Amino acid sequence: MKVTAHLHTILQRHTPEGLKGRLDVNIQPGSTVEDLIKHLEIDLEPDYLLLAVNGRVAPLDQVLEQADHVNLMLPISGG
Amino acid sequence: MHIWRVNVNTQSLSKDPVPDAWDRLGGRGLIVQMLLDEVPPDCDPLGPDNNLIFAPGLLVGHKLSSCDRISIGAKSPLTKGVKESNAGGRTGLHLTYLGIKALIIEGQPAKHGWWALHLSEKGSRFEPADNLVGLGVYAAAALLNERYGEKVAIALIGPGGEMLMQAAGIQNTDNENTPSRISARGGLGAVMGSKGIKAIVIDAQGGEKPPISDQKRFREAQKAYNAALMGHPQTQVYAEYGTAGMTKISNAFGGLPTRNFSSGQFEGSENISGENMRELLLKRGGASKTTHACMAGCTIRCSNVFGSDDGDSIVSPLEYETIGLMGSNLGIDDLDAIARLNWELNDLGIDSIEIGAALGVAAEAGMMEFGDGERALELIAEIRSGTSLGKVLGDGVVSTGNELGIERVPAVKGQAMSAYEPRAIKGTGVTYATSPQGADHTAGLTIRAKIDHIDPQGQVELSRNYQINMAGYDSLGACLFSGFGFAAAPHTIPDLLNARYGWDVPEDILQQLGRETLKLEREFNRQAGFTKVDDRLPEWMSREPLPPHNTVFDIPEEELDGLFDW
Ligand code: SF4
Repeated sequence: MKVTAHLHTILQRHTPEGLKGRLDVNIQPGSTVEDLIKHLEIDLEPDYLLLAVNGRVAPLDQVLEQADHVNLMLPISGG
Repeated sequence: MHIWRVNVNTQSLSKDPVPDAWDRLGGRGLIVQMLLDEVPPDCDPLGPDNNLIFAPGLLVGHKLSSCDRISIGAKSPLTKGVKESNAGGRTGLHLTYLGIKALIIEGQPAKHGWWALHLSEKGSRFEPADNLVGLGVYAAAALLNERYGEKVAIALIGPGGEMLMQAAGIQNTDNENTPSRISARGGLGAVMGSKGIKAIVIDAQGGEKPPISDQKRFREAQKAYNAALMGHPQTQVYAEYGTAGMTKISNAFGGLPTRNFSSGQFEGSENISGENMRELLLKRGGASKTTHACMAGCTIRCSNVFGSDDGDSIVSPLEYETIGLMGSNLGIDDLDAIARLNWELNDLGIDSIEIGAALGVAAEAGMMEFGDGERALELIAEIRSGTSLGKVLGDGVVSTGNELGIERVPAVKGQAMSAYEPRAIKGTGVTYATSPQGADHTAGLTIRAKIDHIDPQGQVELSRNYQINMAGYDSLGACLFSGFGFAAAPHTIPDLLNARYGWDVPEDILQQLGRETLKLEREFNRQAGFTKVDDRLPEWMSREPLPPHNTVFDIPEEELDGLFDW
């Protein structure tokens, strides 16, 4: 199953082509948001993350579906 | 500490002891108490009965990271209600070094003229400022620094304030003497202009840090607060990306104001994101800086210097609110164009949120094409020239909507919304609706909460808690971004206050200050004629669905009315 992960700010990936904020990821059907975080090897406490699936805040145990867009963010305030 | 009271009519100063009722207040909380005590709520905001107040927060004066902010307040010419707008820079620290708990500027000049008010250990003096009239803040501040030296702090207005425009703010110089830390909101620059003051120059030489009652305890609390702040991953995000890191978050939630609040997602959001800005600034080098402190001692350093390709500085800082209102809200996806617009508004001393919203309305009315940065610059030039169109724009989004006959005006209590769409981030919509300050994200931004932002459930309670905390931080002089540190080590707030003043405040002093402040602000507004009808979002937001979630603002009115029943 394929989902798209959107990695914000310090979560972006260094790749040979430069920093990447958007990754298409293949994961097992039935995977949760938490599984995706593990798959991406993000080592921050999940508590620090703000997570959204298709534009809505999602809990760690939300089951993902094919073609979901998952935003992984560090919640800041604007100014 | 003393209250310094400057009368612009008699050009005199009195240094008064702090009355008991004001003693335990600071910043925003002190301002509203002073307004209630001395300013008739129904007065003309630009008349002789309004006071312009500068009040450093309770923790200002110790270079405690991100805690030296200045609150500036008055009755607002924009909202016609209570107004406090705070900023970083040097003003707060320098006033405190002179032993000033609050500076009140009162009265109206007997005859028309422009003055620089100079404050130092010796007291105050009025110096003619005719040579500064009409100058933007960058040129005016440079002349003032030439005359009074590099060490002074300066708070000044630009042409916007001189022309008494309702979107005019007051600029404060930062550590490098750049006058771009603006107390932007609510037209305080017009109040300063109505008093004939172009600039306030604060020379703290010979002054000293305010006394600390228990040094050891203070240092301990400071250490714990610093550790909590520096240990938090958000601090790294602020340092590397600044508030611009918010662009993609808002867009992800469908809450990024786009083309005059007609959509919550912008196809050009990547281009104007903090992520892209950082890459650009690192590549450009020269004057560009991805991190910068707006005040001495700030360890978060969320600010930046946005430089051009050829290495010169265009503007500092470039912040998310400006990116949202002058970028996506105008359909502009080019950071250079946004930075130039921002510089112009800074130089005019005008709020970029209010004008970004006003230009969005003007674009909807056909005065510019969305996406046309050059035309936006031309419209801002009208403001500088003070043409009749420029004056309409310079009076803000409501004035522009009225003049051009546009219904889609994003404002509450006369003040433009910041860069969070209230139909997508409903808790922030509740804050816009109910805050006594008018629509303002800094009064209680809920986007980082783990709640479904488009579900109306729970938003009032969420907004209430944020509003209370923010009113508390605004009374301490604490930058909103210090909140991550304080939230991780909440005991440091009472500890710091007790050590500084020898008080014995309770654990929940932050919330106590916040609740009391909000209650007094509501009271000022009530006496100024506000009713619950003023605590509403514009009606079209409850009718017109916002893409991509196609949601309307649907928080029940009774719930909004119950927000302050705690
Ligand atoms: S975090 Fe940013 S706005 Fe706050 S005090 Fe530091 S530099 Fe200024």
